[in-house]
Amino acid sequence: MSDATMTAARGNPALDLLRRYGIWVIAAAVMIVLPKIFTSGAALTTMCLMGIMIVFSLAYNMLLGQTGMLSFGHAVYYGLGGFLAVHAMNTIAAGKLAIPLPVVPLAGGAMGLIFGFIFGAVSTRRAGTVFAMISLGLGELIASLSLILRGFFGGEEGITANRTKMLTLWGVRFGPQIEVYYLIAAWCFACMIAMYAFTCTPLGRMCNAVRDNPERAEFVGYSTQMVRFITFCISGFFAGVAGGLAAINFELMNAVNISGAQSGVVLLMAYIGGIGHFVGPILGAVLVVLLQVFLSDLTGAWMLYFGLIFITMVMFAPGGMAGLIMLHLPLWRRGTLLQIVPSYAVMLVPVLMGLAGLVTLIETSHHQLVKAATDGPAMKLFGIAYNSNSLLPWIVALALMGGGLYLGKLWGPRMADAYSDAAHGQDSNKREAGK
Amino acid sequence: MLELVIFSTLNGVLYGMLLFLLASGLTLIFSMMGVLNFAHASFYMLGAYFGFQLSQWLDFWVALFVAPVCVGLVGAAVERWGLRTVHKWGHVPELLFTFGLAFVVEELVQMVWGKLPVDYRVPALLDFHAFELFGTTYPAFRMFMLLISVAIFLVLLMILTRSRIGLIIQAALTHPNMVAMLGHNVPKVFMMVFGFGSGLAGLAGVIAGPALVTQPSMAHVLGPILFVVVVFGGLGSLPGAFIASLLIGLIQTFAIAINYSLGDALSAIGMARPMQGVLSDLWQVTVAQVGPVVPYLMLVLILIFRPTGLMGTREN
Amino acid sequence: MTALGLHDVHKSFGITPIIRGVSLEVGKGERHAIIGPNGAGKSTLFHLISGRFPLTEGSIRLNGEDITGLKPYQINRRGLSRSFQVTNIFPKMTVFENVRCGVLWHLGYRYSFWHNTRKLKDANDRAMAILQQIGLADRAQLPASFLTYAEQRALEIGITIAGGAEVVMLDEPTAGMSRSETAHFVSLIRKVTEGRTLVMVEHDMGVVFDLADRISVLVYGQIIASDTPANIRNSKAVQEAYLGQALESHGEAEH
Ligand SMILES: Nc1ncnc2c1ncn2[C@@H]1O[C@H](COP(=O)(O)OP(=O)(O)OP(=O)(O)O)[C@@H](O)[C@H]1O
Ligand SMILES: [Mg+2]
Repeated sequence: MSDATMTAARGNPALDLLRRYGIWVIAAAVMIVLPKIFTSGAALTTMCLMGIMIVFSLAYNMLLGQTGMLSFGHAVYYGLGGFLAVHAMNTIAAGKLAIPLPVVPLAGGAMGLIFGFIFGAVSTRRAGTVFAMISLGLGELIASLSLILRGFFGGEEGITANRTKMLTLWGVRFGPQIEVYYLIAAWCFACMIAMYAFTCTPLGRMCNAVRDNPERAEFVGYSTQMVRFITFCISGFFAGVAGGLAAINFELMNAVNISGAQSGVVLLMAYIGGIGHFVGPILGAVLVVLLQVFLSDLTGAWMLYFGLIFITMVMFAPGGMAGLIMLHLPLWRRGTLLQIVPSYAVMLVPVLMGLAGLVTLIETSHHQLVKAATDGPAMKLFGIAYNSNSLLPWIVALALMGGGLYLGKLWGPRMADAYSDAAHGQDSNKREAGK
Repeated sequence: MLELVIFSTLNGVLYGMLLFLLASGLTLIFSMMGVLNFAHASFYMLGAYFGFQLSQWLDFWVALFVAPVCVGLVGAAVERWGLRTVHKWGHVPELLFTFGLAFVVEELVQMVWGKLPVDYRVPALLDFHAFELFGTTYPAFRMFMLLISVAIFLVLLMILTRSRIGLIIQAALTHPNMVAMLGHNVPKVFMMVFGFGSGLAGLAGVIAGPALVTQPSMAHVLGPILFVVVVFGGLGSLPGAFIASLLIGLIQTFAIAINYSLGDALSAIGMARPMQGVLSDLWQVTVAQVGPVVPYLMLVLILIFRPTGLMGTREN
Repeated sequence: MTALGLHDVHKSFGITPIIRGVSLEVGKGERHAIIGPNGAGKSTLFHLISGRFPLTEGSIRLNGEDITGLKPYQINRRGLSRSFQVTNIFPKMTVFENVRCGVLWHLGYRYSFWHNTRKLKDANDRAMAILQQIGLADRAQLPASFLTYAEQRALEIGITIAGGAEVVMLDEPTAGMSRSETAHFVSLIRKVTEGRTLVMVEHDMGVVFDLADRISVLVYGQIIASDTPANIRNSKAVQEAYLGQALESHGEAEH
């Protein structure tokens, strides 16, 4: 997905085509096949949400990852797009407008674009921290306005719509979730391609230049403000499309969708996935939605885990998941990926120990503090039943954490050595040592 | 009307001084470390909850002194084992770290003390009316809050203008690289600054807790306002933060007290209220409802017209 | 025909005057060197011309048009391109892309988000040709931050000339280089600025006398002499103010 792969694949035109478009064919195939594998209703809803969030977080990363603009208020465009889409759906249902449902996200996109244009003109005049603060201010402004302007935002309850009351196109009514899934998947796929294509355009390349060195970009003829502004508008458009998809999926939009919390979630998704690579936000959206769905089923303290994962990422893996994967790309190319598996496997022991300790600690405290009053002190974790009142689980948890930390520190340097051996080869290391 | 003005002014100044207790720490941390601390309001919340817990176990007056110290220690620990690691990645990850921290603190507080507000009471000693005016009483505890925040303000002022440390801090405010040049142990200075700022926020929490509501959402309600204050006043400017605190304190308090809408204004001058259209709500909205919006409007406007803020000199 | 004309340019930082009334004419196709002691204000003068700092007073013309007070990108679009004394590149992007960034605007792609850069044959060919010229063709796909210091300096010049600007300004292109690297660079600069107007700041007198058609001497924010290399070499005033030590140290280095 970079110029390097482009040059590497020169020569055989068929191979070239496969390399360049193969990944998209695979992506499309996966999206088509997934609902055939995971057929349950819950899985389908989860996948719909993933599709929406992939579009939203990719749109967000146009700003943060590509252009270096940290926004704390991108839910504004997502939310406004969603609200307009809901209103559009209601207008269509009332027979005043004759557009089919699959086109409705475009209305959301238009709304995102318009407000991206208005607010972008204001905020992109500045970069860095000031931009971040303006985005926060605008975000809070719209979020608090949304509670006041009840006509458009519907107050606390929000605005509902019914997607089945639309024009039918080729007999599809979008009643069953599976039909909505394919609608979302199609939009998601199209948006992914469009946003990837954007990274290859002159403007897309200059976004990276502006992120890396805004001053120099001005001396090769580009107004950094204009680059930021146009990108902001386009990003607003895609965020609006995501909002429109959400409106169709949930048939409901409310103040939460436009709040600072929603802006925070998209930031988390993009960052956890990795803002330095195009695939990062996709991975992040998938992971975070999965966490939201499964963790919230498993534990009442899931938001806490979520925050801890984010902090850990920021502290130790600022490249996100995509960054971690890319770290291993050279190894794969050299064919030494298998070589580090044993070393990683050893590391798994302290990691699992530490994690088990942490989870025990959090879950036991959670039970003791939140549930014990109603359900009594007896609880079950990892299939072991115990009493959250007793001292033992606490001691075990702390011991596991301490042990994990100690062993991890012990093995950490060895693992780093193993990695650099695999990445640069043992001989080169020895040569350097010999010098 | 006069009564309204007097009480609103009093409450506005009080709210403003509380904001300043928080904003001064935030400004200090930003100026010296370059970190815009998203979790600052979380330390304020921790202060309120620690205060509550300590006054349950022991006594409010003990809490008043011990809770801020505890919060300060938590802050120093966060700097030592968290921020310092992130520092090498740059300012954006630092900001994101504090963002995540705010998230985690809220969740922890919810877990430990529950989602509902806790019963953090005014100490018996101060549970009386300070004075009565036009038939309305004013609680003594609020006077006490005002007293404390003004006292802290004066102490800060003294430290800043009269002591050696104050001079170093002032130098650092205008020339961020000075601290290192003066030959101080920079990481240690950072840890102390962060701890001190958090402690101040914690103190604000301890005294605000009984008067306002102590609940898990108190941090993220106040957090953005706090940013408005420091950005509006000018990043890195303590006098600016002071003016902005008072301004926003007063505006918000007065707004809440005024129950008057644009529509009322229109009918007062004899025009019909527009009842149709998407924006028709705009005419029904009272000033009180708009209150929460005003600070953000101010923020956006000042950043457009005077990006350095009221008294700031730095752009970024 | 003058390519670049400065008229009574002043610049103060706060109350400190740094540039104190500089007037200068650089003819089309001329290779003009600006020399002077450290802190004389040479880089500041470059910043003023290229729009990085606003002037306090005076005016600047480019090909007869007034460019005073324009933004850097506006000045660049009118055909003036500059390099920096401290290397100023796009560190995370590849060497190839660094140069292509310098090309895009001037081939008319502007803010296009409807072209695919991989298919922009003209831009890619031009970038590649520049890389060939500056000798970095085999480094094309490396991130710019991986280059050696001398290579980064070459890249800096590559980005500067990529847009095909008529007036090229180089701020100490050979600073910090070894003797052989410098020799290589002189021929490189000569090659890439063929048919263009060159203004450069340089401390190495060998390079200056080798390349320049005319030399201006800047001391404490004022031009004390502006003449041909031979006349500058023989000027008493210049000898006293600056050149004496500079030439001496240059001579020593040669032995
Ligand atoms: N932004 C600024 N603010 C204040 N003073 C500045 C600024 N930039 C430069 N100066 C001062 O202006 C003077 C001239 O600096 P300048 O960089 O132009 O010198 P120079 O001739 O390029 O020197 P050198 O040969 O070392 O590169 C110096 O004394 C410097 O300290
Ligand atoms: Mg210089």
